[in-house]
Amino acid sequence: MKRVFEIKNVTKTYKKGKVTANENISFSIMQGEILGLLGPNGAGKSTLIKQIVAHVQPSEGKILYNGTDVSTQSRLVSREVAYYAQEPASLTSLKVNEALYFTARLRGMKKSAAKEQTNQLLEKLGLQESGNKQLKRLSGGQKRLAGIGTTLIGAAAVLIFDEPTNELDPKKRRLVWDLIQERNREGATIILVTHNILEAEQVVDRVAVINHGKLLAIDSVSTLKNRVDQRLKADITLATPQPPAMEALQSWGQLVPLTEHRCRLLIEKDRAAELLTFLNEAQAEGIHSYAISPPSLEDVYFHIDKDPEEAEEEEKLYANA
Amino acid sequence: MQMHNSAGYEHSRFKQLVAEAWILFRIQLSNIREQWALIFILASLFPFTTLMFLKFFTVNPTDEIMIRIITGNMLFALIIMGLNAMAQDIAWQKHQGHFTYYASLPIAKVNFVIANLIRGALMSFPSFFILMFIGQWIYDIKFHYSFALLPVMLLSIMSVVGFGVLLGFWSPNMQLTNMLVQALMMIVGFMTPVMVEMSQLPAVLQAFSYLLPTTYAAEALRELLTVGWTSSVATNTLILFVFTVVSYLLILKKIHWRMES
Repeated sequence: MKRVFEIKNVTKTYKKGKVTANENISFSIMQGEILGLLGPNGAGKSTLIKQIVAHVQPSEGKILYNGTDVSTQSRLVSREVAYYAQEPASLTSLKVNEALYFTARLRGMKKSAAKEQTNQLLEKLGLQESGNKQLKRLSGGQKRLAGIGTTLIGAAAVLIFDEPTNELDPKKRRLVWDLIQERNREGATIILVTHNILEAEQVVDRVAVINHGKLLAIDSVSTLKNRVDQRLKADITLATPQPPAMEALQSWGQLVPLTEHRCRLLIEKDRAAELLTFLNEAQAEGIHSYAISPPSLEDVYFHIDKDPEEAEEEEKLYANA
Repeated sequence: MQMHNSAGYEHSRFKQLVAEAWILFRIQLSNIREQWALIFILASLFPFTTLMFLKFFTVNPTDEIMIRIITGNMLFALIIMGLNAMAQDIAWQKHQGHFTYYASLPIAKVNFVIANLIRGALMSFPSFFILMFIGQWIYDIKFHYSFALLPVMLLSIMSVVGFGVLLGFWSPNMQLTNMLVQALMMIVGFMTPVMVEMSQLPAVLQAFSYLLPTTYAAEALRELLTVGWTSSVATNTLILFVFTVVSYLLILKKIHWRMES
């Protein structure tokens, strides 16, 4: 696969080096992939994205877009990379159809093509009825959808979304992920900045975990999952506190009480079928319901983001379990 | 939808530049579509009140003084847009995060400035003409009208716009920008020969005045409206053109919305 972006030893400091936004970050973004940038608020994700789209100059290191240094070719990057930066502040006075059409024209599209795509996107985003409303008159969710529309419009080779699904209800979130995946199937490379790990897991090919301005890990979701406790999680809801089946559950694996009516059982993968049979039989003895799941991206994230001492403790515990 | 370089794209750079300027101007207009009347009134208020104040304040003014007062206030209407409003608008757009959107698009920075400038000119030209007519009426003066008024007006705005844009892009916060542009307005308006005779100013202010485009704009406007197109108006217009080029170069070379360091 071709490298679209190459981030090489990028560091950004402010206030004469007193504040470090990111530190010695290196990785590549491949053509046609969906890369998720995960990290808590203030981790340095947005700074890195601003460096990638040539809005912020790295203090050290460089970023190449298709082999060209973005700091010398920021116009080229803006032509081929569409960036959605959380809040479409500059567009709030525009009507939704104007925001989409104007953005398409500013990206270099001809009038007819811009109009056609505007209509297509209004329909796909479910905003036909709001087309003539100013963005500032829309609900938070609709405003966000319109902002995402301005990123999707045109035919950029790379699309970057910063927290695209914040403030959206589940139906609209699904819609946004579908549209992003659709653009990816058409050949666009996608970079997603998010702290919504559960959603990202459904969409991304690879994940880069960033915290305190440092790249902690980057790999495919499945490879990263291999780095954490491989036991399955059975989340069990009890019909009554301390039901008769509780004692038997403890013999299956590590039982972690969560609340009075909920507990989590960690079991080895090969015992899943057996456990299912037991839980079905045990339902009458006070187990209300259960759900079994493999390690998630969220587990990976918490594992990677732990401080080293805590992670070592956890690994010892896992080894002894 | 297809990837980049598809048929739906404009291939002529010139056509794209024109379309870009037009769209950016429409975006600027949309920002004021609900408040244009208020902005227009407020932009006229300062020169209008100054004009009225000087009418009440001066007893039996000479024609020379009256012309200076009227043309000085007309010029004020233009400077308010080119320097004051431009700096405040751009600073506001900067602090509201508008630049992130614009910097993400393949647009020329100078087109963004031109769009802001045309919007500003549209808002200031009515004030300019209203002050001209009111001034003539209350001071009982007759002006000489000429088509040359249009380039002089445009160059007067454009010669100061670079400083307005520079202040707006530099703005560390809105409050400081507001205070700075108000102070600049006062200095340019009252401590340079916009409304007073150059010889009435102390030597240091006279020297300082030669560095400001408003000195030449006031001179050109005054002579154009009282005598018509003369060699002195032509010289001052040429100087304004040089200031405009310097403004343009300042914008081009010193202002960056991509690659903030």
